[in-house]
Amino acid sequence: MTNGKRPAGWIGGFFRQFLLQGSWNYRSLLGSGFAFCMIPILRRRGLSGDALDGAVRSHMGTFNAHPYLAGIALGAVAQMEESGTDPETIERFKRAIQGALGGLGDLLIWGAWRPTTTLLALVLAWAGTPPWVPVCVFLVAYNGGHVALRWWGYKRGLQYGKDVGVRLGRAALSRLAERAFVAGALLLGILAGVFLVSHLATEEAGGLWSLAGVLAFGLGLKFGHRALRGTTLVVVLVITVLTVLGNA
Amino acid sequence: MSVVLYRIDERLIHGQVVMGWGPQLSVEHYVVVDDDLASSEWEQDLYRLGLPDAASAEFLKADAARERLVVMEADTRRIVVLTRTIAAMGNLAKDDALRGREVNLGGLHHAADRTERISYVFLGPMEEEGLQALVEEGVHVYARDLPGSRAVELKALLV
Repeated sequence: MTNGKRPAGWIGGFFRQFLLQGSWNYRSLLGSGFAFCMIPILRRRGLSGDALDGAVRSHMGTFNAHPYLAGIALGAVAQMEESGTDPETIERFKRAIQGALGGLGDLLIWGAWRPTTTLLALVLAWAGTPPWVPVCVFLVAYNGGHVALRWWGYKRGLQYGKDVGVRLGRAALSRLAERAFVAGALLLGILAGVFLVSHLATEEAGGLWSLAGVLAFGLGLKFGHRALRGTTLVVVLVITVLTVLGNA
Repeated sequence: MSVVLYRIDERLIHGQVVMGWGPQLSVEHYVVVDDDLASSEWEQDLYRLGLPDAASAEFLKADAARERLVVMEADTRRIVVLTRTIAAMGNLAKDDALRGREVNLGGLHHAADRTERISYVFLGPMEEEGLQALVEEGVHVYARDLPGSRAVELKALLV
């Protein structure tokens, strides 16, 4: 399915992805956003007036995906348009891939990447850096990751077209999520260790708290990926705040 | 009894199903009943991308699914049966095949002749007829997109 040639207008299509959710609605979900992203590519194919209008409308059907992974579908559809795939096949492709892009995106981003980068910032905060450091590190890490993921997905879509699902396989995305989970588990362990040792340790009980820190680190490493969810973060934050108040 | 959920959802295997209902009901296997998809491997591959590692899926034509219903109900795995349309579920339910069972309306989205009943259920005259037919086959129909959300009974969806 790949013809190696990127469709003209693909760069514009990439940047429009950042506004993909701008017209999210219950009727077509991301449908109109998807059509909006396709406009530069359709224009560069020489379409204008009624022809452009019709082509944009054909992309406005109900579509939903995780916004950061929707680029995989966008790139693939742009490639399919370029290689002259019939509209029905394109529609069926969008229908079939959307569920996977939604579910994997939730797992990868909301379940792994966002908690992991949040934990990274918390670890830095507890390690005693000035307040602006964890804030900047979080913003750069989180956004760097999501922009990179959008770019990677869009390029893979453009590269493989209709075959993108088979070529990527579930493994590629699951592996990314797994890595983020492991990093998050490690950070959860470090965070637990750091705040137990640095804020609870006293002269008399230093050894005990250090041991507790090491134990927490080990548990985080072993089981953290199971516990790493939004609710866990809330629990960690509550414990943290209580500890600060208790030590104040 | 091993089919733990019968669900009508235009998006079939997606986040709400595998991340929402999957863990809640400990689902091990998904059966999609759809004539078009049963003979289209490339589409099946795309739908399978969204499955968790521990779960599997198969795609059956309506006739094959009707024949397999008894076997599925006796399967040791915990199964979810999905259809894209009310008509496909109606076909499964024919001749009392699903009498006494529940059918979940998970997502029927906007289309030309449909109106919004709740945010994730849009129905037109054809869909209403199909749902009435399900009720006449002894099926309890309700809408609920996620296990944690409120169930909406069919009569609240019909205007």
